[in-house]
Amino acid sequence: MTGIGMLTAEDQMAIEQLLIDFLRKSEAQWSALVDKGGNLFAQYGDTGSLDLSILSALAAGSFAATHELAKRLGESEFSALYHEGQGMHILMSALHHECLLVTIFGEKTNIGLVRFYAQQVTTMLNQILQAVRDKEATMDPLLIEGDFLDQDTAAIS
Amino acid sequence: MAFINYSSREIQLKIVFYGAAMCGKTTNLVTLHKLITNAQKGELVSLATDADRTLFFDFLSLNTKTLPGFTTRFQLYTVPGQPIYNTTRQLVLKGVDGIVFVVDSHWDKMAENVESFNNLRDNLAENHLSLAQIPYVLQYNKRDMPNAAPLNYLEYTFNNRATKVMTFEAVAARGDGVLETLNASARLLLAKYSKTPNPNVAGLARSA
Repeated sequence: MTGIGMLTAEDQMAIEQLLIDFLRKSEAQWSALVDKGGNLFAQYGDTGSLDLSILSALAAGSFAATHELAKRLGESEFSALYHEGQGMHILMSALHHECLLVTIFGEKTNIGLVRFYAQQVTTMLNQILQAVRDKEATMDPLLIEGDFLDQDTAAIS
Repeated sequence: MAFINYSSREIQLKIVFYGAAMCGKTTNLVTLHKLITNAQKGELVSLATDADRTLFFDFLSLNTKTLPGFTTRFQLYTVPGQPIYNTTRQLVLKGVDGIVFVVDSHWDKMAENVESFNNLRDNLAENHLSLAQIPYVLQYNKRDMPNAAPLNYLEYTFNNRATKVMTFEAVAARGDGVLETLNASARLLLAKYSKTPNPNVAGLARSA
């Protein structure tokens, strides 16, 4: 199973608060919790007009490819992946339950600082993810009233 | 795996277009990107080689208001069809919710189609999944080919399991059958969130 199946408003707030603290301390620009299937769970910061779905899908793909490289080198996983650009950089840190912390940062800070605080926040995020997983097992499945999907109704047009 | 965000009232679902090399998976997404006007669509991203062969995946995100009170985000992916990219196909299948298996109707492509279908089953198993768990539909593409295999042959070859699935004839390059295929897949995925699922929708997936 990939990632987590649901987030309540409280979980969302708790995760966002951690991301806010992390961005404040590390002076990074944007940070997000995604899973290795490409789902975006929570995010905070400024990415301008970037499409966050695409960003998540590409980050997950990139990390997944690296995971395969790690396996072939006899490692169970690389715990972090860093892409260095001219002005913008990305750090991806592995979390439990097939999730990732993706952080984008610029010239205001440096990789050492971002990595240091990323290591701290991953521990706390892992605790929340475990709690979410435990809660998921006890929650009823989402069911919505109404015959909203008549056979003739196009869901997408 | 579907993800429900109760805070932003959003459901994310991943649909993967699977099939043999050059069967029209990327063409499906390109055509969908052109045809869809009402849903809020993102940019179509293709990770392809210089020769326009899919190297990693194509990706298209669609936001719809299909479920009352929720935004449903469909994330559409294709896999690279070439046999050498099998590891990549396994990666793209991570967290899949629904599958569109695209069959190339060309007679000469039957062996490749069958091999790809078997490969799909193997790769789902690698991800601890099976076709019994993941709702899928079949799209018989390139029906305009003069040497297209007859429908009953395709049905016998690809839809001959105890559980019949929905099938669609298509000419993806022209847009025929493309939206119908995606909508069927979307309905199958969404039916499980309805308290009173339309029997036609649920039944189509199960009817023998």
